[in-house]
Amino acid sequence: MSISLTVNGSPHQIDADPSTPLLYVLRDDLALNGAKYGCGLGQCGSCTVVVDGEAVLSCMVPVMLLEGREITTIEGLGTIDDPGPLQQAFIELQAAQCGYCIPGMMMSAHALLRRNAQPSDEDIREALATNLCRCGTHMRILAAIRRAGELMKAASLPESDERRAG
Amino acid sequence: MGILKDEITRRSVIAGAGGLVVSFSLSRAFAQAPAPPAPPTTPPAPPASLPGSLDDDRFLDSWIRINPDNSITVFTGKAELGQGIRTALLQVAAEELEVNPTEIEFITADTGRTPNEGFTAGSQSMQNSGTAIRNAAAQVRALLLAEAAKRFGIAPTELRAENKSVLAKDGRSATYGELVSGQTLHVEAQPQSAFKQPGSFRVMGKPLPRVDIPAKVTGQPAYVHDLRLDGMLHARVVRPPSPAAELTEFDQSAADGMPGVVSVVRDGNFLAVVAEKEFQAVNAMRTLAEAARWQERETLPDQTDLPAELQRLEREVGTVAEAGVISSSGKVFEATYTRPYQIHGSIGPSCAVAQMKADGTLDV
Repeated sequence: MSISLTVNGSPHQIDADPSTPLLYVLRDDLALNGAKYGCGLGQCGSCTVVVDGEAVLSCMVPVMLLEGREITTIEGLGTIDDPGPLQQAFIELQAAQCGYCIPGMMMSAHALLRRNAQPSDEDIREALATNLCRCGTHMRILAAIRRAGELMKAASLPESDERRAG
Repeated sequence: MGILKDEITRRSVIAGAGGLVVSFSLSRAFAQAPAPPAPPTTPPAPPASLPGSLDDDRFLDSWIRINPDNSITVFTGKAELGQGIRTALLQVAAEELEVNPTEIEFITADTGRTPNEGFTAGSQSMQNSGTAIRNAAAQVRALLLAEAAKRFGIAPTELRAENKSVLAKDGRSATYGELVSGQTLHVEAQPQSAFKQPGSFRVMGKPLPRVDIPAKVTGQPAYVHDLRLDGMLHARVVRPPSPAAELTEFDQSAADGMPGVVSVVRDGNFLAVVAEKEFQAVNAMRTLAEAARWQERETLPDQTDLPAELQRLEREVGTVAEAGVISSSGKVFEATYTRPYQIHGSIGPSCAVAQMKADGTLDV
């Protein structure tokens, strides 16, 4: 069955079973690496993407519910040559160890920063409570998200973190 | 994981290596080394032990290649797993080669191209691979200086290596690429190297941003999970409900008719399903799991008393340190310290990709 999805501003026609969770469509049909398969059960947060401004676990949401909605993945925040504020901040503060959970963390942070560009550590901890990580960069992740807020504020364009492809 | 498209292949290196062979004696190249190797004895002794992983892969060009176009490739058998060794080992190579880290193409754990250094585990990468690369790089630098000294007809001490060139005090210079020909680096390493002194370090011990992070925060391919081959199928394993469970029966027909299912694989107690798309494999795995019957048996120790079980398993008892004599007049404190039995699990699930090629070889 053909489904229309809008991902990072670009329209796509997908041929998939409508019950397929978004994650598999992003990774296998659209060849996007950002959203990660961690547990496949909505427990680890590494598949987090943003849908209409809200952080969503893409391994749990069937694509049929997403027609006509704005899906943003980490690829929509900037590129390796022109990183967006969140990406810039995570690179600047070296806020990754293995990095597998990080895109999910960043998308939760993206949803948070869209509504609050100056979050407290408490706000960040709450927004990222569903994102698990086993290694040692938690304090850097907090610092990077605060830094991204500063970068966005300096640019006075909170929405500038989201790029429109194509 | 070597998944960058533009990485050179071993064949292209060999094919591209120039035909010019410069021969000169290694002992001359290392004449300036602080502790030259002992002269060979008769009958020939077994090969000298070399530092770190050099002992297993003894040729300098297993670790470092310098190409005629003056590009440099450094190899390690260790894998970047987020511990940052790609960056750290790059720093080691750049320091002893006297080049900027950005000038080095760095190849990590690739079975066809890099030295086999076994597992990447146990905090051994800097100790073994780092030691090998540091020694190899220092010896390559010494060979380059010796070759330049020969060409210019001056002493190696009149030369310095800098930014992929060897420079003479009188202004003459030659690039590394010009100094190296086919076999120059295809020599066995020596046990001793003339290292740079720590006071002159430019790269080692200085912060260098991790080279793998930008790709990881922008959705570039960075993990084995990101490999997509033409016509690639997806598989899922049907896990047993407990360790050592035996698969007694399963209904293959439950999965056979499902969309996208290509085959069901059973090998003893191993059960897996292969499908065209990943989520089809997930669905079929769930269906098969319901249709499978397992015989479970107790194999795990008493989970409520693991500390006692672990002490029963104890294999190695030793003294960490001992000094002085306990005074009989003072107070004696005794304490027992234990820590929980834990293993860290990563968020990224285990994943493997295999490709059967037309010639019958399987790349994993």
